[in-house]
Order: sequence, then C-alpha cells, then structure tokens
Amino acid sequence: MKKTIDKIPARLDFLQSVTGLILAVFIMGHILFEASILISNEMMYKVTLMFEGYYFFGERYPGIISFLAAAIFVIFILHAGIAMRKFPASYKQYKIMKEHSTRMKHEDTSLWMIQVITGFMMFFIGSVHLYIMMTQPENIGPFASSSRVVDEFMGPLYFMLLLAVVSHAFIGLYRLALKWGFMEGKNTERSRKIFKLLMKTMIAVYIIIGLASLAKYTYIGITHDFSDGVKYQSQTIKFEEHK
Amino acid sequence: MSEIEKGRILKINVLRFDPNDPSNLPHMQTFEIEEAYGMTLYIVLNMIREHHDNSLMFDFVCRAGICGSCSMLVNGRPTLACRTLTSKLGQNITLAPLPLFKLIKDLSIYTGEWMRGLNERLETWIHDKEQELHIDKLEERMEPALADEIYELDRCIECGCCVAGCGTIQMRPNFVGAVGLNKIARYHLDPRDKRGDEDYYELIGDEDGVFGCMTLLGCEDVCPKDLPLQSKIAYLRRMMVKTALNN
Amino acid sequence: MKIIYTDVLIIGGGLAGLRVATGVKQRGHDAVILTLVPPKRSHSAAAQGGMQASLANSKMGEGDNEDIHFSDTIKGSDWGADQEVARMFVHVAPKAIRELSAWGVPWSRVQKGERTAIINAQKVKITENENAHGLITARDFGGTKKWRTCYTSDGTGHSMLYAMDNKAHQDKIEIHERLEAMSLIVDEGRCYGAIARNLMTGELVAYVAKATTMATGGYGRIYSVSTNAIICQGTGQALALETGIATLGNMEAIQFHPTAIVPVGILTTEGCRGDGGLLLDKDGYRFMPDYEPEKKELASRDVVSRRMTEHIRKGKGVKSRYGDHLWLDITILGRAHIEKNLREVKEICENFLGIDPAVDWIPVRPTQHYSMGGIRTKYTGESQTLKGLYSCGEAACWDLHGFNRLGGNSVSETVVAGMLVGEYISDFCDSHESSIHIHSSKIEMALKKEKDKLETLLTNTKGEDAYVLRRRMEEIMMDKVGIFRNGKDLQDAVDELEQLYKRSKNIEVFRSKSRAANPALVNAYRTQKMLKVALTVAYGALLRTESRGAHSREDYPERDDANWLKRTITSWSNEGQSLPTVSYEEIDITSMELPPGFRGYGKDLTKHHQDTPKRVEKVEAITKKLEAEGANRFEIQNALMPFLDKLPKKYRNKNERLGENI
Repeated sequence: MKKTIDKIPARLDFLQSVTGLILAVFIMGHILFEASILISNEMMYKVTLMFEGYYFFGERYPGIISFLAAAIFVIFILHAGIAMRKFPASYKQYKIMKEHSTRMKHEDTSLWMIQVITGFMMFFIGSVHLYIMMTQPENIGPFASSSRVVDEFMGPLYFMLLLAVVSHAFIGLYRLALKWGFMEGKNTERSRKIFKLLMKTMIAVYIIIGLASLAKYTYIGITHDFSDGVKYQSQTIKFEEHK
Repeated sequence: MSEIEKGRILKINVLRFDPNDPSNLPHMQTFEIEEAYGMTLYIVLNMIREHHDNSLMFDFVCRAGICGSCSMLVNGRPTLACRTLTSKLGQNITLAPLPLFKLIKDLSIYTGEWMRGLNERLETWIHDKEQELHIDKLEERMEPALADEIYELDRCIECGCCVAGCGTIQMRPNFVGAVGLNKIARYHLDPRDKRGDEDYYELIGDEDGVFGCMTLLGCEDVCPKDLPLQSKIAYLRRMMVKTALNN
Repeated sequence: MKIIYTDVLIIGGGLAGLRVATGVKQRGHDAVILTLVPPKRSHSAAAQGGMQASLANSKMGEGDNEDIHFSDTIKGSDWGADQEVARMFVHVAPKAIRELSAWGVPWSRVQKGERTAIINAQKVKITENENAHGLITARDFGGTKKWRTCYTSDGTGHSMLYAMDNKAHQDKIEIHERLEAMSLIVDEGRCYGAIARNLMTGELVAYVAKATTMATGGYGRIYSVSTNAIICQGTGQALALETGIATLGNMEAIQFHPTAIVPVGILTTEGCRGDGGLLLDKDGYRFMPDYEPEKKELASRDVVSRRMTEHIRKGKGVKSRYGDHLWLDITILGRAHIEKNLREVKEICENFLGIDPAVDWIPVRPTQHYSMGGIRTKYTGESQTLKGLYSCGEAACWDLHGFNRLGGNSVSETVVAGMLVGEYISDFCDSHESSIHIHSSKIEMALKKEKDKLETLLTNTKGEDAYVLRRRMEEIMMDKVGIFRNGKDLQDAVDELEQLYKRSKNIEVFRSKSRAANPALVNAYRTQKMLKVALTVAYGALLRTESRGAHSREDYPERDDANWLKRTITSWSNEGQSLPTVSYEEIDITSMELPPGFRGYGKDLTKHHQDTPKRVEKVEAITKKLEAEGANRFEIQNALMPFLDKLPKKYRNKNERLGENI
C-alpha cells in the first residue's frame, strides 16, 4: 500500500538543481562563444550567424536568439524563484548566518555566502541583460556588441555580471556534485578536493577569458568608427539585401 | 616522551555567562595557564576551575572522546574539547559554548533535551511489526558487511558539533541537521527496521528534512567521528527524490 | 516544595538503569530515570571490547555453553561470587544479547569461510562454518576458555547504550536529566525515593516512589588515575551508606585494567590483546609467557595487572616523566584489522598520544578500572537490609564478580541485571506491600535537611577546600590501596582518610556562591560522599588479611578460604562515626556447584576451607551417578545447584544454539 506523500518538496529540490545545471552549462558555452572576438571580428560574426540559424537555413533569423534568450530567461526566473527559498528570510537570519560564517571560517559556508550575494545581484543585472538580448537580438555582432559595451554603458554591468555569473555557476556546479553524490567514489574527501580544485580553476579560467573578451569589445567600442552604423561587414560572407 | 621544558603561557579566553544570574551579562574572561606536555583542553579547564575560578562551568564525562559531552567552540569551530591538544593550537585560545543549544552556564549546554526531541521526531528506533521477541531462539541473521555498515553510522555520539557547524540549522532551527539525517540513513540501512521509503519520506521529505540541506558541509568537516555525512545525505536526497517520483 | 510521585525511581541512566526502566514499563509501572548526564553520555558507552554471552556461533566459540561461561566466571571471581547469581546471569546473557539484537545493536557477524587471526603471536587460519554465517560472532577475552565476547567493532557499549536509550524513547520513559540524587528518603526501614538536586537550576525536588533503584555505576574516581568517566564517583554507594540501613559489599574489590594509556589513563580495550596484541617491556621483550606460560597476555585481568607491576618493579619498565610503563604492541594485527575492529583505540592513540598504533607501540600501565563491590543486594537486586531499595549493574554487589571480574562480563551484567531486577521490582510493585505509607512532613524534612546541608557549605567560613581534600584522597588511594597492598600502607591510608573525612565536615565553598549551576558546590558535597566510599574500600582492604582476586596483599599472599571465604559487609549506621562498621557474610561452600579450587595462575597458595573437600567429593559423586544414568548437562546442573525457580518465568527457557536445543 502506498501512502500519499507531498511530492512538491522533492520536485522543487530536483528542479532547482536541474535548472541550475542547465544555466551553468549555458553560461559555459555563452562565455566561450562570446570569446570568439578574441580570435577575430570575423570569427565572432560567424558565431553570431550560427546562432541566428544562417548555417542551417541559409538565412539569418535573429528571432532564434530572441527565443533562446526567452527560454533562458524562463529557466532563470524558475531557478531564482526556487533557489530564493534558501535565501535568508529576514535580516535576523542573515545576521545569524553572517556571524556563523565569520566565526567558523569554513570555506564551503563562505562559498555559499558568495552564491547568495551573486545570486541576488543577478536578479537585476541578469534580468537586464536577458531582456535586452530578447528584445534586440539583431544587435549582436563585433561592432554592435562593442557599441553596447561602450556607448550604451553596458561595460560595467557586464563586468559585474561576469564575476557574479562565473562564480555562482561553478560554485553551484561544485555544490551540485556533492549534493547528489555525483562521482563521489569511495573516498569522498578526495573527490571533493578534486571537485573544489576544478571549480576554482574553472572560475579563474572563465573570468580571464571573460575579462579578455570584455576588454576586446571595449577596445573595439572605443577605437571603431561607428559613423557607418553598427553593422559588421564580413569579408567572406555577403548578403543580398532583400529590402 | 620528550624532556621537560618550560611551556608556553596560554591565554585562554572563555565566553562566560550565567543565565541564572540576572545581573550577569555575557563577557569574555581570560586565564593564563602554563602549557605542559600532552595537555588537552580537559586538563586546561580543570586547572582553571581548580586554581583560578571554581565557578567556571563546563561538561566532561568520559574525557576520552567517546561520550560527546564536551563539545564547544574552540577558536570558533565546534569540536570535542577533551581530545583537543593545546599543542595543536596557538597561544591564544578562545572557548565558547555551542550555539543553538540551551545554555546552562559558561561552556555547559543542554544537548540532551534537543537530541531527545530529535530522536522522538524521527523515531530513531527499530520499527518492527512483530510484537513478540523470541530471545531464546537463534538471532536473525545479518550479512557481516551490512552489520559493519550499520555500525559505521551508529557511531554518532550526539555531540552536537554538526549542528553547531551547520549554517542552515542556525538560520532555520527546525532543520533536522546532519545528526538527524545520519540517523535516518542508519535505520534505512537496517533490515530490522520495517519502515518503508514512504515512511522515511514523511519524516525527512521536506524543507526541514533532507531538502533543507544546502550542502554547506560544515557537518562533514567538523564531525569528530568522521561520519560519512556528505555521502549519506546525498544518498538520502537521491532516495527521497526517487521515492517522490515513483509514488 | 516540589514532589514527583512515580512507581519506580531509577537513579542512573546507563545500561542497567535504562533496562530496568524498560522492564518495569513493559509490566505497566511508571518509571522515572534521574541522571547526571543525558543517558547516551553514560559511562556504559565506554565499554569498547564486548559483551560475554555463550552463543557459540564462531569457530573458536564452538561448544561453548552456560556451563563453561559459569565456570570461567566463578574461577575469575576467585570463588568470591554468588554462584546462584552467576548461574542466573550466564543463563540470561544469550537472551540479553538477542533482545538487544532485535532492538537494533549491529553486532559484528560471522563471515563464513577462511580468515586469518593472530593467536599467540602466530598467524592462524580459522574456517568459520557455513551454517553460522550471519550469526553474532565473538572474540577472545582474558580468562575465558572459549571465544565468547560478542562485539560491535570496538564500540560495543556505545551501540548497546544507544539501542537501549532509543528503546526508552520508544517506550516514552520519563528521563530527568542533570538531576543528582542527594539522599534517599527513608522511613521506618523502607526506602521511598530520593531528594534530588537540579544541576542546572539548583532546585531541590523530592521523588517519591514505591521502589528506588540505584544504577549509578562504580566508584573509580576515588583514585587519581582511573579509566572511569569522571562521573563515576561512587555517590550512589555513598547514598545507600548514608541511609544507615543499607549495606555495601566487598568494597575493597577493585579491578585494575592492564592496558590504560599513559598518562591520562584512558582505556585501550582488552580486545587489543584478545585479537592478538602483545605486552612488551623496555627491551621490546614479551614477558608475559615467562609469568603465565599458559594464558600469557590473556590471563585474568587481575593477574596480568599484577604481573605487569612485578615486571616494572624489576626495572623492566619504560621510564617516562609520568612514571614507568610498558608497551602494548598491536602493530602485528595489521592496519586493516585495527581500522576496522579497533577503531576507537586508533582514535584514542591519535588524539591523546599522537601515535599511530598500526606502526607504534602504545604506552600502557595497569589503571583502576572496575568496582566489583557495591550496594549489597539479594539476587533480586533488593538491598538485604533496606526494603524498597534496589540496585543493579556496577553500582551493586549481588555478587556476580566476587573479587575479580572477567572482561566482557560487565556490560553483559548491566543488561542481564536490568532484565532480572526489572522483573523483581515489578513483582514487588504488583504486591500490596509496595504501597506508600510516608507522611508528607517526613518528605519535607528530608528536603529541608538537604537544603540546610547546601546552605552550610555555601555560608561556612574558615572552612576546608574540597579540592585539597579530594586530591589528597585520590593520591592515598592510588599509592596505598592499589594493585599490591600491605598492612602498613593500608593502616596509613585508613588513618589519613579518616582525618580527611573529619575535615570534610567543615568544607567551605569559596567564592562561587551560586545556588543554581555551581560546579564548586557540586564538588564540595561529592567530596564528602567520596571520602566515605574511599574509607570503606581502604578499611575493608586493611581488614582482609588474605589475597583474593584483585585484592592482593603482599603480607598475606595466599588465598585463605579457611578464614576469608566471606563477603565484606560495610555500613555506616551512625552519622557520628568516622569509620564504617564492617561485618562479614559467610559464603556457603556446601551449596556450591563449583567448589573452591585453584584458578591456575602462578603457584597455588590457597589455604582451603574444611568444607571444600567434602563438597568436591559430593559434586563428583552426584555428577558421576547422573552421567551414568544418562542425564544431560541441565539435569546434572539442576541436581548440583538448582536456580531456575529463582528466575522470572519468562527467562527460564533453554537457549537455542547451533547444534543445541533447536
């Protein structure tokens, strides 16, 4: 005989992990694709075209990016909504946690504090970024993006977002592995150490890549002459104008 | 054993408070003790009580790391004082009672009430439908490896270190904590306990239970018995999600 | 005035106390447990090595039964034990272990097939039977013919205690923690409960009950170095003594465990030697075979402790700043074995000595460990002289251990005694004679008396420092009432303890004047009680001019059955006296199943009693006759010394074993 149990807590917990995992994987790809600018403007342009479906349909559909951004936005909101349960619910709780963390000097607890803070930051800057991507999908490209970074003052926001999202994602992945016992092996102390090292390495690598890309966009944004608009003219791929 | 040498002068800072005395407020008091070879905090605290301040309250019972009475915050971290060698600490040692538990006085806390509440909440005993015991007959058999595995989890001494080391339970005192989850893992493993997965889900399948755990792993890192808490909580989480999905 | 009424008041929340509570609760009586610490912190948890019960599942325990367990126990006691009690005990021990198994203790189990064990420093292959697979296994302990000590790794007491306490939770037994019994309420020769002090708030509470059970453990802490938990201070024995009516038995019978670590005195289990560990001297030489060629390291505890002390006295000890010691070598057992079966030992070595026992030798020396003596009771656990007062476990002397206890018999005793005494108490509570006839003014008086005593301690001026008295007492006990004793030292000890006792009446609690939680106040009144207990030990030892079991007199090295086959009975009938009253209780040879003989250690120096040869002859005759008639071992046993009718009915059935009674 099966008892009726309230399945919601299990589902919420599972969903939090799954949405987190999707977002983390997405971010890992996102930052790498975006770093194509470091290779060349042309490369970045091609990556943009790829996401617009050019290589599949032979034409550009910025709507795909809009759709992707919207999907991520939904997952983002879902994740934020579920994970918010774990936030300190009052100043008192926050204070207790803060004191506990200061007293214990315990790395994993401090890492969690970082996640709470970065998570909180992303409610705002993450939303802004996602909203822009959703509404202006056509404005992605070596020049368009650079212009956004410099002329539209998105640079500082991207900088903060980069730090927040990278640390949040990799700490999250680390925690995810331990939380579910992923590949923990017989010696959990050892596997945890490895995961932790991996987490720190990835944070460092991604922040370096991200910062370098951001620097490049900023450089382009400052040095490029935007009098012709922000459209990028590829040397290799020519579109016939359908207007 | 090394030769007698002049020991360090340890500065022992103790957080003192007597809730029974209305005029008393929490304050730090510092004692200076000359360190000796092989000295533990058990020796230090008894020396303070015997030679410096006989009103200092603390708890020791077995003084051998077995009974779990003497857990306290040593430099901010929960641990068993009886088996903490001063040689492993700096010259300044700060001692405070474990948070969350009811304070009796100074370093003495009332863990018994809390633990009993937990045990009653989780019903940490063998649930056997059969009422009649056959104690004249051969005992029920059990795989030797399984018995060892159960004992591994049965080693918890209810010292409260995992509770004090857990940020989650500090914020949300209704959370069962690692001590509770470990007990559920222990009974779940035990074939003599006839409770099913759904029964366990009812006990810990919510945010005060396993889904409340935020994997801060303070428990794992401070457990004086090195219980496999991280691994067992992960196991319970998987099991509980599976139970919910299958139900 | 706060008065709590209950049927059965149990003082002490260790294994014995918890088991009594469960027992009486099952029989429908209310029980309240008073305990100094949460039950799970009791000293029972420190019993590492195991629990004796003749299950005979493991290969090396094959053929074991109650008879062999009985004879080991009696020999171990140096014939001081009550043989009926021992019979009852060995009969119920297998039931106790099986009950605990059903209640959740994860006993280590037999693994079928071949395994390697270390026996006498040699690797030996043991093949466990297929049909024993998964049953409870056992290890070797000192002084036993068979491997009989059942265990859970080396956390046996811990697992048992946790299972018992959890059971108590299940049974909804009331447990009042951090309450200390200060005195027993006695009226017209009957015990009606106790006055208790709340150690957190200082409140005094009267607990009034039909039956009061002392399950307060031993009194090891009257010695400066002891393996005992620091709460094992003998206050339970003192409480009984202070009634002036209840008596104590064999208080001088103190066991020293061979292997406590130096200097802190924490125990490393007998399982170390049981599993094959060796004792070595400063030259790394294994000396035990020279003294005890047959049992070597696994001779009875008292014997090993004495041999170690002798060897140290020959200058073979290892010098250290904390005095001489010897080595315990378990490196030969291998890391895997140590980390699995001797894990607690490993932790203790790491944390308190900073050594790795898989590589390093452990510094050990004999250290006070167990109190065979205690509140003298009948086999029912009831005081012989004070109605309504019961006692069981280490606190009591019902007398299972005589003058030396076998390793593994103590945790076993706690549970078995708890099972039995719980039944007898229930019988008492069921009867009319249990009803309570005490006027509330008497209870009030008892409360007031305790209150006044505390006030005196707190308001006294120009008084004595309790710590000074206590430390001196501990030193005297250690130096003069130790492993080897002699008339002169014992006389000195008694004289000085008597002086300390007189001084203790004028103790003053300095500075710390709180009426609530106040460790200085606690130390003050406990010191007064401990001094009384110390006096009973030292005085009993002084008067007993023979050597028996753990009581070893250098000036009287022989066991003297002719004059001393008797129990020391101590009482303190008058508060004015400064020495206990000592009398003796004869041990009847003519009803013994196992008449006095030679234990088999060293030279036989026994002066036999005149009844002994007659009884030996009679036992042999009965046995021979019945064997010829084809009687089984139960019938023969019953003809020699019937005991079953004394057991509660539910525990009379025969125990099933592989190949027996199935």
